[in-house]
Amino acid sequence: MSQSPAKPGELAPHRIPVEALALGLASGSAATAPGHDAPLLAGLWSPVRREHWTMKWLSTVDHKQIGMLYLVTALGFFVIGGVEALLIRLQLAGPNLHLLQPDTYNVVFTMHGTTMIFLVAMPALFGLANYVVPLQIGARDMAFPRLNAFSFWLVPFGGLLLHFSFLTGGAPAVGWFAYAPLSETPYTSSSSVDYWALALLVLGIGSVGTSINLIATVLTQRAPNLTLRRLPLFTWMMFVDSFLVIFAIPVLNAALVMLLIDRQLNTHFFLPPGGGTPLLWQHIFWAFGHPEVYIVALPAFGILSEIIPVFARKPIFGYEFVAGSTVAIAFLSLLVWAHHMFTVGLGHAVDLFFVAASMLIAVPTGVKVLAWSATLVGGRIRFDVPMLFCLAALVQFLLAGLTGVSLASAALDWQTKNSYFLVAHFHFVFVGLIVFAILGAVHYWFPKMSGRMLCERLGKWTFWLMTLGFNLTFIIQHFLGLAGMPRRVFTYADLPGWGWMNMVSTVGAFLMGVASLLFVWNLGRSLLRGRVAGDNPWRAWTLEWACPSPPPPENFTSLPPIHSRRPLWDDAHPDQPDPVVGTHGALDTYVPERNQTAIIAFIFSESAFFGVLILTYLYYNATPPAGPSAHDLNVLKTGLFSLGLIASSFTLWLAEKNLTRGRLGSMRFWLAATVALGAVFLFGQASEYATLFQSGVGVSSNLFATTFFTLTGFHGLHVAVGLIALMVMLGLALAGDFKSAHPPALKAVGYYWHFVDVVWIVVFSAVYVLPRLR
Amino acid sequence: MTTAEFIRSGWSWGGATLPIAAAALLAYLVLYRGTRRWPWFAAALGVVVLTLTSPLNALADGYLFSAHMVQHILLLLVAPALLLLALPRTVSLALRPRWLGRPWVGWIAGVGTMWLWHAPSLCNAAVTSRPIHALQTCSLLLLGTMFWRQTLAPREAERLSPPVAVAYLGGACLACSVLGIVLTFSPVTVCSIYAAPVVDRLGLGSLVDSRWGLSPQRDQQIGGLLMWVPMCLIYLGAILAQVARWFAEAPRPSGVEI
Repeated sequence: MSQSPAKPGELAPHRIPVEALALGLASGSAATAPGHDAPLLAGLWSPVRREHWTMKWLSTVDHKQIGMLYLVTALGFFVIGGVEALLIRLQLAGPNLHLLQPDTYNVVFTMHGTTMIFLVAMPALFGLANYVVPLQIGARDMAFPRLNAFSFWLVPFGGLLLHFSFLTGGAPAVGWFAYAPLSETPYTSSSSVDYWALALLVLGIGSVGTSINLIATVLTQRAPNLTLRRLPLFTWMMFVDSFLVIFAIPVLNAALVMLLIDRQLNTHFFLPPGGGTPLLWQHIFWAFGHPEVYIVALPAFGILSEIIPVFARKPIFGYEFVAGSTVAIAFLSLLVWAHHMFTVGLGHAVDLFFVAASMLIAVPTGVKVLAWSATLVGGRIRFDVPMLFCLAALVQFLLAGLTGVSLASAALDWQTKNSYFLVAHFHFVFVGLIVFAILGAVHYWFPKMSGRMLCERLGKWTFWLMTLGFNLTFIIQHFLGLAGMPRRVFTYADLPGWGWMNMVSTVGAFLMGVASLLFVWNLGRSLLRGRVAGDNPWRAWTLEWACPSPPPPENFTSLPPIHSRRPLWDDAHPDQPDPVVGTHGALDTYVPERNQTAIIAFIFSESAFFGVLILTYLYYNATPPAGPSAHDLNVLKTGLFSLGLIASSFTLWLAEKNLTRGRLGSMRFWLAATVALGAVFLFGQASEYATLFQSGVGVSSNLFATTFFTLTGFHGLHVAVGLIALMVMLGLALAGDFKSAHPPALKAVGYYWHFVDVVWIVVFSAVYVLPRLR
Repeated sequence: MTTAEFIRSGWSWGGATLPIAAAALLAYLVLYRGTRRWPWFAAALGVVVLTLTSPLNALADGYLFSAHMVQHILLLLVAPALLLLALPRTVSLALRPRWLGRPWVGWIAGVGTMWLWHAPSLCNAAVTSRPIHALQTCSLLLLGTMFWRQTLAPREAERLSPPVAVAYLGGACLACSVLGIVLTFSPVTVCSIYAAPVVDRLGLGSLVDSRWGLSPQRDQQIGGLLMWVPMCLIYLGAILAQVARWFAEAPRPSGVEI
């Protein structure tokens, strides 16, 4: 039933060599020619010069190694975050304890939350995606391997930045969501919050880079017959998840940038004395924060959708429903953030709409739970460790979903707001679903990554200790919350029941700690002495199991024919293959260009960033504040310079046209004209700024000045970056490059430049034109 | 008056709506006699007639911004979609000149009309001036049809492919969300005519304000929320229909199975 291993130089029966597939792709057909000689590609796969293992790992651009780097980094931070959790539980083990000072306690829970979300959950899940997605789609690597490496190294860098704050006057103590005004200078004068914000910016940029990479990879690097509707569910969920990331993270970046400007430049985005409002921070943060929980939940759903069918020996029930409900969840998650603000006083009308929308999001989620459950019914379930973790995750997520739906009711939310009921709910999601899914995924894919099996006995001990510990820790917290215990308190009075309930929770937490130690021990031991795994130890059906364990650098030398969602099942059961997943419409075989796909994804993410800045500008300038206002701006002069910027889009279009016609000289001329016009625009901006500075208007003068300088400043920054890209293009053109008539790079830069123009048109209308229309 | 009295008496049967609707029904039955899709057309007409003649219309006529928003959503999103679904599957909606049929034109038609009619001056004008109000109603129906044509055209070949349609609808959802957010949280009144109705034609002033407790600020909030959440849910429903369509097996006999 498993494929017979191919002897060197010989292909397993039914397999199609990758070279033939690649050539087939190049010639536009799906022709197959087993055994076809392909000298062009042989050079790519000749062995590399031996290098030292440290350099190999530090400089790798191979997605598999980068994926493992992500996982190891996440594990390291998991230990740190876990120690922080244990410190919290020790301090809360009994009433009126003083193990930790109150301020230290605040630091510990802030760092615990921030670390676990941004340095553990996201790196672990994106690391898994990095490793698994290219393999599942039969690709050689991610679409942009160097971007991949860059995105990874931002994680340890961001983690170091965050923890460096311990050495510079204290780590942040403002909670993982850093509400203003506590996070503002008057209330937190140390640089802790600045490090926090910078670290999150760095980490966010890495996440967006990875997501752009994933989108480009799934759209452009699939094996030729692997159409979008034949994608494994983990890949599909990561694909949809990536869109969520590119929309949600830039929203956070905008908030962080505004917070940093407040703290460093004395402005008042979120401070009432200067006209700002702390509510704006909440809105923007949660507009990121709610999609963020789905950003980490969707990959967990993907993991469950992979493991449960394999260990129930049944294809997933309702693939289309699981895939479709993912799209619904992704869209809905962008619409429900105000349910984190029910107690803020937005008004009954706002509350009611968000109650309805938040309850609605339970429907597609429920569809998934039903699909997984239906997959289990009638299956021949194998209770191996990956399945155990996923079954526990399923049940625990069900409970988390139920408490979530109850929290969607504003009335119940009011009673349990910021109590341990809420803490229990989100830990059931983050740990009960996501950590358990990650543990299941590591047990599932470890054999592929290392070529060895994890020890099953140790795995089962880890599972039972973790499950017992987790449920002991957090089930009781539901009752603690309903009994009235608030979150983020460093100690509590000796109220009836609180003492023993907290003690139970602490004991559970330590059991989880023991389970984690066992897990790390299992990892180390199995790496050295584990049983050899083979290609497909779990008898799974997706493409990552069609290559050796661990995979060679090029991943695949040959691929099985792909007609359905389970190619390896079809390969092993030619008499009863899965029904063919049809292809209709041109889009199934359409492969967009890599660079343009990435730039368009990047443009989406930047639109979200500018969208927040523009909305903030509009909000704070709806009624003109006292002091400098839009009437102090020179519309005519800036309008003229704006025409220059718009003209530069036109000249760039001319440059592209000339290039496709082969007229390199004209192309260079128009490209130079574009750079010149862009520079003229920047000069105009600078002169506008100079005029304002000379009349005493600085960024901190009033909210108009603050929002004006922030918005136009970031736009100017984008223009400058665009100019650098254009100058690189110009330099290459002058050096004689651009021989082919359809350069994707110039088109991609062109999209970016046109986007920057469109943003300026919106900004100009909102800032310069709109006030004069009133 | 009380709410019950208002619901009984607030209907406006006069005006051009009923005759035009009757003419449209006649035209449909003649043009497409024998089609099984007539319930969709009946539903479309029902929505339009109810929107323009029911007490909702009376409320939207200078009293409640949120009522106007409900009308807006029904006329822009619901009625045109039902109308397109009522056309027999063989009707071609190819437009001349060809660029009118491009996806981005349809998108800007649907999204732009929403933004346009909430410019303060236009929003007020549509209440105070009858001709502009008629223009608004017609533009919503027409441009809404142009928007939905991209995903609901009767012929499969004239529709966007499902993944592109998801992006098309998702983009529209985002665009209307932004306007909804602006309206919900704006500290200033956008459509000032609703804040202080010029003439209390129907004597509803006290009913709206004190009985229902809808101050102008709350009214604008609800209007913005309607544009934000329910409107997006309509787009989301359409998106899910596209995803369902994408996954439905429709093997082409002539197509190459790969």
